[in-house]
Amino acid sequence: MPTPATPIAETAPAETELAVRLRGIGKRFPGVIANDDINIDVRRGTIHAIVGENGAGKSTLMKILYGVQPPDSGTIEIGGAPVALHSPADAIKAGVGMVFQHFMLADNLTVLENVVLGAERRHGIGAKARAEITRLSDAYGLGIEPDRLVEDLGVGARQRVEILKVLYRGARVIILDEPTAVLVPQEVDELFGNLRELKAEGLSVIFISHKLDEVLSVADEITVIRRGTTVRTVEPAGITARQLAELMVGSELPSPSTETSTVTDHVLLRVEHLSLPSPEGRPVLDDISFAIHRGEVLGIAGVEGNGQAELVESIMGMRATSTGLVELDGVDLSDRSVHERREGGIGYIPEDRHRHGLLLDSPLWENRILGHQSRPPSVNHGLIDKRAARADTARIIEQYDVRTPGPDVLARALSGGNQQKLIVGREMSGDPVLLIASHPTRGVDVGAQAAIWGHIKDARRNGLAVLLISADLDELIGLSDRIEVILRGGFVGSFDPEDVTPQQLGSAMTGAGEQA
Amino acid sequence: MRRTTKFAALLTVGILALTACGSDSDGGSDAAGDGGSAAPKSDVKVGMAYDVGGRGDQSFNDSAAAGMDKATKEFGMTSEESEAEDGEAENAREERLRTFAENGFDPVIAVGFAYAAALTKVAAEYPDVHFAIIDDASLADVKNVASLVFAEEQGSFLVGAAAALKTKTDHIGYIGGVETPLLQKFEAGYVAGAQAVNADIKVDTTYLSQPPDFSGFGDPAKGKTTAQGMYDAGADIVYAAAGGSGAGVFEAAAESKTKAIGVDSDQYKTADASVKDVILTSMLKNVDVAVYQYLKSVDGGTFPAGVTTYDLKVDGVGYSTSGGFVDDITSKLDDYKQQIIDGKITVPTEPAK
Amino acid sequence: MTNARVLKLVLGVASALLALVAAFAITSLVLIIAGDPVGEVWKTILRFPEPRNRANIINNATVLYLSGLAVAVGFRMNLFNIGVDGQYRIAAFTAAVVAGEGWLPGYLNTALAVLAAILVGAAWAGIAGILRATRGVSEVISTIMLNFIATSIVAYLLREVAVREKGSNNIGTKIIPEGSRIPSFSIGDGPGTEVYGFVFIAILAGFLFWFVLNRTRFGFDLRATGQSQTAAVASGISVKRMTVIAMLISGGIAGLVGLPILFGDAYSYGSTFQSGLGFAGIAIALLGRNNPIGIALGALLFAFLDEQSNPLQILVGVAPEIVAITQGVIVLTVVISYELVRRYGVRLEQREVARALARPTDKTEEVPA
Repeated sequence: MPTPATPIAETAPAETELAVRLRGIGKRFPGVIANDDINIDVRRGTIHAIVGENGAGKSTLMKILYGVQPPDSGTIEIGGAPVALHSPADAIKAGVGMVFQHFMLADNLTVLENVVLGAERRHGIGAKARAEITRLSDAYGLGIEPDRLVEDLGVGARQRVEILKVLYRGARVIILDEPTAVLVPQEVDELFGNLRELKAEGLSVIFISHKLDEVLSVADEITVIRRGTTVRTVEPAGITARQLAELMVGSELPSPSTETSTVTDHVLLRVEHLSLPSPEGRPVLDDISFAIHRGEVLGIAGVEGNGQAELVESIMGMRATSTGLVELDGVDLSDRSVHERREGGIGYIPEDRHRHGLLLDSPLWENRILGHQSRPPSVNHGLIDKRAARADTARIIEQYDVRTPGPDVLARALSGGNQQKLIVGREMSGDPVLLIASHPTRGVDVGAQAAIWGHIKDARRNGLAVLLISADLDELIGLSDRIEVILRGGFVGSFDPEDVTPQQLGSAMTGAGEQA
Repeated sequence: MRRTTKFAALLTVGILALTACGSDSDGGSDAAGDGGSAAPKSDVKVGMAYDVGGRGDQSFNDSAAAGMDKATKEFGMTSEESEAEDGEAENAREERLRTFAENGFDPVIAVGFAYAAALTKVAAEYPDVHFAIIDDASLADVKNVASLVFAEEQGSFLVGAAAALKTKTDHIGYIGGVETPLLQKFEAGYVAGAQAVNADIKVDTTYLSQPPDFSGFGDPAKGKTTAQGMYDAGADIVYAAAGGSGAGVFEAAAESKTKAIGVDSDQYKTADASVKDVILTSMLKNVDVAVYQYLKSVDGGTFPAGVTTYDLKVDGVGYSTSGGFVDDITSKLDDYKQQIIDGKITVPTEPAK
Repeated sequence: MTNARVLKLVLGVASALLALVAAFAITSLVLIIAGDPVGEVWKTILRFPEPRNRANIINNATVLYLSGLAVAVGFRMNLFNIGVDGQYRIAAFTAAVVAGEGWLPGYLNTALAVLAAILVGAAWAGIAGILRATRGVSEVISTIMLNFIATSIVAYLLREVAVREKGSNNIGTKIIPEGSRIPSFSIGDGPGTEVYGFVFIAILAGFLFWFVLNRTRFGFDLRATGQSQTAAVASGISVKRMTVIAMLISGGIAGLVGLPILFGDAYSYGSTFQSGLGFAGIAIALLGRNNPIGIALGALLFAFLDEQSNPLQILVGVAPEIVAITQGVIVLTVVISYELVRRYGVRLEQREVARALARPTDKTEEVPA
């Protein structure tokens, strides 16, 4: 067992104090035990965080608590009374509400309309409903105007609308699934303020997250789940983020950390005056110029939707309307196709591996070929060499620790982290000089995250230029030699990761304080 | 989600494909059954291979069926029948004829020119079985095949003349079902008959579909809109040589208070009561007569061979008088009829280019 | 390889059988409801075919097979080529005219006509491909429209070039000279046991289909595009180019569809030339899961049912449409059971992966930090 952490007092709290009591919850899918003997007590008026690696069983547990799936075993008590939840409607009736990671709002409707949609019976759809929304908004400090269109709202405000929706339906227990994944640091602080308001009013919040620092700052109690079962419930005061992570993984773990600089003065990627017009008028990319040297990692920070994805796709040649110069090791790529750019030495870890990185219904060895259709060993003279492709896939599986029974498994069957490791292995196998890594550790478990960080560092050490885009500021600061902040399609500030804090980056990302 | 959509699309396409590739189901088939229970008995087993549509198509398949029913009842023959499916393979037609031949049916009657190629093969394979084919004369020299053809142009000439005599606008129309040489015979005769009465008459002609699309014989909606267009343009009588699509032509005529001309059988007798009064006359193509007479001679012990043309002379074609709308011009029409029989008028079989 | 793989194969076969049984059960139910003699019907349909029936089955299956292949090429890339029907008719017509004219002697004439058919079919489908690639027009819509246009063009041109046999009400192109016909071979005694020589060309087409799709970079690109356009783009495949090429190939194969009949039986394109083959091809491609062997089995099954249903009306007194119902139900049950098996297979694999993961191999420590 890893480093011990301080357990909370074993004395069970008085029954009436408990908002939610889960005992012995179990859920099996064919061949996989998703949940096994889960025991959690959520006290009234607290924020209870649930942390665990991807695939540890958090989502399954929350689906059980929200009535999406019935448990195979165990009991659920809400407010002291045992309940059987067969549908989200049952859960709502029992006072449990859920805010999903992906918002479920209709953009073209107002806040009021979104909130009452499906809950018309509570307060109608008119003045009474408006009054109730205003009352809730004021009571919990949500600051919501009922008549604004959702499409005009920012991410943080949309999240508050989601919370209000849940409150409006009478929830006393609110589940938040990875609520901070989409927020910048300032918005996270606001959210935590709201959560504390909820707690003060006697509501209970179940908070699911990856980000351990946040969990430690906001939660009253933290339950760690590993391989489908509750490992331990701890209080934040007695534990560090690192210890928490080790509880999650079940072993010691590494962190992203800068090593001695390997930056040379040999420019590998030169981008000049890169622009991408948009049909709406304001360009998506606005005259961007930068260079990455051999052995250098350039990190791009920015709030999602400020042009990062388009920047990557323009460099890859996937955006036909982009203008400007893209030069790789002295070769002008501007008029080259995606294929030619890849052959020219670009490795690409796409942001959305399901959409851009994999053929989910193809075996791993075919995924090994993807993006390398013109290159040995998998393809020779236009013919596919299945044996060589399988052998090389086996090499990647071995070298990059892809956990799979073999190269014939469909990509869909792998977990996110293993899919990502396969992609990294594949992209490195073409001997690239430039590696573009777009959110390389998004949605992967801690173990795979560490491995991927290791590979990026290796690439840097081996003299590759790396373009790293990430929403995880710790990751950016830890891996980059230089960080550029992108805002509304342009670079607005350059930072040295040695002496920048996530807060400073956050300010630059939102355009709050202009500093450089 | 995307997968589900794709899946649904696949299913839809599959279903569409299947509906398209053969489900022209008209149900009932073996109405003829075992002839009559009446006194006459005969060893003759008649096999009847219909064209697409089969018994119940209100057109020439039906007419053939009527002739067979009458004969089997009268002579105590037994019969079985089978109909073609839309878009079937050539060897399916062959197989249909072979199945009859192999199972002791003699004679075997093939309804429609589409059987010509199949019959050429099968007649050679079964020289002892006797065949008849309707609407085709290409097997004239085959000893065990009787070709029953009609002088549709002659009958059409008469109804064309009737239309020209009856029109008040000197403007009439012709709607063919499918633009085949057979239907062009109807057109040619009709136009010639109209022009014989009035050289300056205006005749609009059109077809509902082009081969290999044979939907024009069974599309009343298209027949209606097409006819409506002709009536709107000033025609006051339209000849509907379009099988089942004719019903739509009659509806259009009823709505615009104009007249139409039926085809193949006396449609005044079979049409819906609401439209029967628009049927000025019908061009009679007596397939039933041909089938009956053929079976009659079979009953008499002789299997005819070669081409028999059913024309005005033998009342194989003609015009109907039900409803009494042409009673005032029958003498003129009969005059034309006589001239044709006497060879004083030669009716063209192809439309003037 | 692994047990799960063997199990999956067994499941695949079992699912196909199950689908067939379900289809027969449903059809039987229809027959019972309609008051038709169920036993007699199945006895007729499932009797062992006579040699000439066998020949017909192979011949019809050859035609359906090519149609299924043409559709499957599109399906593999997520393109719905509904236009095989129009493509094969306009191509068969062209081939009939070329071969009928006999500009070249003997088999050179045949080769020229086949080439013309492939080119015309490809060009006709290519229109839809180009519209899709440049203008984003759904190939479903455009190929349906092109079917109508093909019908009209062929009808018009047929009248222009038609020769009429004396006494016949059929019109057709000039008869192909004997030296340019593709000889049939007999598989039994008696008449009607001739199998189209074209069957070998169809087998060759099936092999090429398999080889190109599974063994070449081009085929990989095509399948990748079909599975995920976004992943294809990111991997450097030009989706537009692939769209056009896939439609050209689909249309080229479609161009072959009518040729077995043309060169082995009809020798001319007339108004009774078989229609609707393109639509049958869609059903068969679905049935065969776009796999050349599967399509062959599907084509044989459909041809078998068609052939065996022929005497139904004569001998049993049941309308042959019952077979169309059976065919439809088979497609549905097969599609459903394949989907079920596919999902089950994925679950099996996930279970296997989970088992592999469950082995306590805390490798995280070995990762460089």
